[in-house]
Amino acid sequence: MTEQKRILIVEDDSETAAAVAAMAEGLGCTATLATTYAEGVAAATSGDFAVIVFDRMLPGGDGVQAIASIRAAGSTALILVLSALGRAANRVEGLEKGADDYLAKPFEPDELRARLRALLRRDSMQVLDNDLMAFGDLEIRLKARTVHVQRRHVALSPKEFDLITFFARNAGQVVTRMQLLEKVWNLHFDPQTNVVDVHVGRLRRKLEGAAGRPVIQTARGEGYVFAPLTGTGM
Amino acid sequence: MTGRPARRAPLQARATLRLAAFIALAITALSVLGMGLQYRLVAARLATAQQALLAADLDGLAALYEQRRIIALRQAIDYRAAARTGDEMLLLMDRQGGVLAGTRADWPAGLPPLGEGFAATETQEFTDGGRRWTGVARVLPGGFPLLVARSLDPVEQTLAALRRGIAGLTLAMLAAGAGVGWLAARSVMGRIGRINALADRVAGGALEARLPGPRAPDEFGLLETHVHGMLDRIQNLNRATHRLSDTIAHELRTPLNRMMQKLDRIEGQAVADELRTEMRGTIRIFDSLLDISRAEADQGTGGGLVPVDLSAVAAEMWELYEPLAEDKGLTTAATLTPGLMVLGDRNLIAQLLANLLDNAIKFTPPGESISLTLAPGADRHQMRLADTGPGLPDAIRDAAFERFVRAERDRGVRGHGLGLALVRAIAARHGARIATPQTEKGFVLEIGWPKLPASE
Repeated sequence: MTEQKRILIVEDDSETAAAVAAMAEGLGCTATLATTYAEGVAAATSGDFAVIVFDRMLPGGDGVQAIASIRAAGSTALILVLSALGRAANRVEGLEKGADDYLAKPFEPDELRARLRALLRRDSMQVLDNDLMAFGDLEIRLKARTVHVQRRHVALSPKEFDLITFFARNAGQVVTRMQLLEKVWNLHFDPQTNVVDVHVGRLRRKLEGAAGRPVIQTARGEGYVFAPLTGTGM
Repeated sequence: MTGRPARRAPLQARATLRLAAFIALAITALSVLGMGLQYRLVAARLATAQQALLAADLDGLAALYEQRRIIALRQAIDYRAAARTGDEMLLLMDRQGGVLAGTRADWPAGLPPLGEGFAATETQEFTDGGRRWTGVARVLPGGFPLLVARSLDPVEQTLAALRRGIAGLTLAMLAAGAGVGWLAARSVMGRIGRINALADRVAGGALEARLPGPRAPDEFGLLETHVHGMLDRIQNLNRATHRLSDTIAHELRTPLNRMMQKLDRIEGQAVADELRTEMRGTIRIFDSLLDISRAEADQGTGGGLVPVDLSAVAAEMWELYEPLAEDKGLTTAATLTPGLMVLGDRNLIAQLLANLLDNAIKFTPPGESISLTLAPGADRHQMRLADTGPGLPDAIRDAAFERFVRAERDRGVRGHGLGLALVRAIAARHGARIATPQTEKGFVLEIGWPKLPASE
């Protein structure tokens, strides 16, 4: 990366703020801290941030209410709401009001890291004018909804196609089970069983069978990495 | 919305009408009793007056008889007969039955002369010429029959007029009672109807509903004030529940979050991973409890519910869980009628299905089967989840939907006994009915979902 991306953290709990800031720096970004609602909105609308992490129950207001004013001020930052209001209804509300992601406290550091990475990547991702995503000999055609490995068609169920598309958009990075449930299945609760594993497992076997090498790897801890080109990510 | 229950006004008015009718009848009965007593008094007075007139006639005739016997009597009766009004009957006869003087030419049939003398005793009532009479019949010394009688017509006319008056008055009172009762019932019903309509709305979940307009300074106004007081209290409790769960969420999640962040700094120790797993379990229980109490608090309120394609959610959840069941070696079957809509929260319905499917897969041994059916019913969409597993032990059959209830035999299986409690709370939130019919083998759970009211 040529220049460091900036992340704004609006959080009144200093320990959490420090942990998030450390994480942001770990991802190669500069972190800016704000501790109240007003301070947060002022910083968000004045600076050029790639990602804003906003708490909800802040002194002075609710972070979800801030989204509209931040957008109105012309900011294109991606907003991740990080809140103790963690019920499914709260998450859906946050996403409906314009948040790009919503994570409930207490959160696993790996989970937040994965989400921040996904947002940072989205921020820098070019909009593709064709519908082809190619990873070496693995090709995904979005409009036709087909996947080919070494020119051979791999038959996938509609959900498996959604799954591989999401993986492809976050290729080379850890994707958590919770992210998959939220983004692929649009479910905002903890199903307590790793149902996702079964689906990823099926997709993985199909791709491995076609490519003759591992395509999706299990990451330490919480998720998977889509690495279609042998070795590390791209 | 058109799904409102039909008004029950005609039934509700019965009690008020009954009361009004009872009061009207009681007042009428008392009045009739009073008038009856008065009638008897008047009748007795009139009889006495008639008797007095008769006695006066007899006294006059007695005085004349004292002076010049039959001659005077005959002259007096002639004189009276000439000036008769029609209301008297006088007759004096001789020994052979010839008329000496009188208002008529023969002795009335069936009237025996009793005794002699002019005392006004042993009066007899008789009918003659279609009229009622009262009088005395005598045989004067020497064999002269004498009849002195007075017509009862004036008395009877008076009494008849009185009876007509009483009857008319009774009818008028009944009519007035019915009219006033109907008016009172209508006005009472109007005001009770307002309160009933309010209660219906509140029962339907609109806790913020109140009666518009000022309170009348009467008992109905007081009732409305009390109902409003009650509703305010319920609403406050409901708000407090919401606030409490939000506060618990905030106050506990923040320290839990700090612990989680600090755990991250301990690298490479098995105990840190164990701690992390324990914390995840704690947070799950905590989230489930909050979800259950929120769903229970929101029960009946339509707020937050939108039209949801139940069939689509069921299909998605089935698709999510079916591979899990297949991997476990279960036979699976789903029959889902597409396009069945309910008023609901997609996430909650998905969570309900996740809990049920997860349970079914968890408890059903390999080789058995699970199935999900969704079909339109007469008034509800019928969802049926059946497995051929071990079923519910009888010991917890009644309590299976309570929080933290688990069967003894499942101690070794992961879970905390909140799954079915959440299922029940979510079903209740949607007004859905859960049934667990007995089956020969396995566990069957049926949910009747209220249909989405037809849009207007």
